[in-house]
Amino acid sequence: MITRTVEVVPAAGIHARPAAACVRAANAHDARVQIGRADEEPVPADSIVAVTGLDVRQGETVELHASGAEAAAVVDAIEAVLTEPVEE
Amino acid sequence: MPLEGIGTTPRVGVGPAHWVMATTAADVTARAGAPEEERGRLATATDAVAAALEAAAADAAATLGEEEAAIFEAQQLFLTDPTVTDAMDEAIAEGASAEAAAATAFDALIEQFEAMDGRMAERADDLRDVRRRLLGALGGATAPTLSVPDGSVLLAERLTPAETIGLEPEAVAGIATVTGGGTAHAAIIAQALEIPAVVGVGEALTTVGEGQTVVVDGVAGEVVIDPPSAEIDRRVGTQHPVIDAPVQTADGVAIHVAANVTGPADAQTAADVGADGVGLLRSEALFLEREHPPDAATQTASYAAVIDVFDGAEVIIRTLDVGGDKPVTALPVEAGPNPMLGPRGIRLSRQPHRAAFRTQLEAIVTAAATADAGRVGCMFPMVSTVEELAWATEQVDAAVAAVRERGDAARRPAIGTMIETPAAVFIAEELAARCDFLSLGTNDLTQYVMAADREAGELGALVDARHPAVLRAIAMVAAAGEAAGTPVHICGQLAGDPEMVPVLVGLGITDLSVAPVSVPAVKAAVQAVDATAARTLAEAVVAATDREAVIDLLEAA
Repeated sequence: MITRTVEVVPAAGIHARPAAACVRAANAHDARVQIGRADEEPVPADSIVAVTGLDVRQGETVELHASGAEAAAVVDAIEAVLTEPVEE
Repeated sequence: MPLEGIGTTPRVGVGPAHWVMATTAADVTARAGAPEEERGRLATATDAVAAALEAAAADAAATLGEEEAAIFEAQQLFLTDPTVTDAMDEAIAEGASAEAAAATAFDALIEQFEAMDGRMAERADDLRDVRRRLLGALGGATAPTLSVPDGSVLLAERLTPAETIGLEPEAVAGIATVTGGGTAHAAIIAQALEIPAVVGVGEALTTVGEGQTVVVDGVAGEVVIDPPSAEIDRRVGTQHPVIDAPVQTADGVAIHVAANVTGPADAQTAADVGADGVGLLRSEALFLEREHPPDAATQTASYAAVIDVFDGAEVIIRTLDVGGDKPVTALPVEAGPNPMLGPRGIRLSRQPHRAAFRTQLEAIVTAAATADAGRVGCMFPMVSTVEELAWATEQVDAAVAAVRERGDAARRPAIGTMIETPAAVFIAEELAARCDFLSLGTNDLTQYVMAADREAGELGALVDARHPAVLRAIAMVAAAGEAAGTPVHICGQLAGDPEMVPVLVGLGITDLSVAPVSVPAVKAAVQAVDATAARTLAEAVVAATDREAVIDLLEAA
């Protein structure tokens, strides 16, 4: 299990395009990955409904937990999405 | 009386009203086959919808743009979301038909999203789209299309992105909806199709009868029912072409024409009608309809969204201007017997709303540090002493230090003083020496110079800024700014009057900020100004005896 803490940079928070990009990154890897605030139950990162439902805003910190063959790669990919200041 | 909504495509359209009724529900009561059979039907329908959404995304990318294409790409993610597919699978296992399983799963999600705040609720329209496509595919139907009589104004409870993108822009005179926000996907698509649109009009829209003539004024954000022909001409005819570039006078003086806005939605409208930036962001709009002030993160996101719309151009944020005629539940005020002369603006930010002011400043300096931000200004309302400006400036510096101490990025904004009180006019030189710009708020300045309440209709002529007393005050401030080398902006209604543009330019004011609706007309007026002639006109109106003489001079010019 890999765990990483990421501060959310996009102005929209984890919403709209950053949320979609996060889900696509999760789908593109052979790993089970969850996302959430440190003090809350994490949700599957491959669900746009669950990820959007977190309603994470810019500047908040989230934790990623991944396991599986490509755990490291999926965490890197999602971190890249969440720390990219300009959407797309 | 026009109905008020949010103008999302800054154009004006007129035509007979045509109500779009909710599309007939698919048969969700059909008898279910064996679970395996229903699963197979659902899988086939899901594949068909996925293909249709992919085609819609490609089509949108080719004809509209990446932002519109992303809407359909996001809908694909909803279609295959494990939350949804698990719920449908479970329902089918329990004996539901594919139709019932899909309807129930999406309805639960739509309800869940609508219970959340604005930006989540807007995604509910995407879920509605996917739900309808899926049920349509299960019944063998194709993509949803609306039939609209040529040239009519389309009225609806709400529109989904798929319904909107299926419209023929030439055939639809305008769109008005009961619900919806300025950033709803349907609104974004209507804007890309250049269909005049006003959303979020509310239940009042349902009073419009089928076939009644309706004007959709996407610039003013209004819907007018059965207007007299003169009003139709005024609204449709005064549409100046958008000038999407900086303007200068006929003899080459550059004039910055910015817009007065309340948040990201009308900032986008302002950008679309060619505003060069934001000269006044009325930040208190974010505090309305709330029990408590929004936290710093919420404010930062809102300010950053406005800054993002203007992509490198100047954005000036006015700090909280509550009190007086602007009561805000989240920031209660002891109004006293004379609210307009009581605690308001910067006075309230010192006491009792100091904490809210500090939070706001931290949000502003954080938003100012966003990548790609242009110049960000922060200006204080209702200043009447040098000491108030000095105190507020210290608070900005303290906010920068506090944010940085937490390890976050902060940038000090340009500091501005609003000139609204006669006191500020008389000490304009001292204020100008202590900040980066002055900004004349002519609505309040007029009522304080003339000692006439702007809400008191019977005093109409007294609260007209075209009075020599007000114009002399403006001239004094312009001169004080020039002496101190500090730019003087103007953000009151006076700046939006094309007839006044030559006078303001003649007084040496180079930054005008006006309502979005006025931007094209003001830019056109600037291009017609000869700065030398404007100086002569300005001297004449400032020297005039009374308001009538000012009006005569303006008409003769």
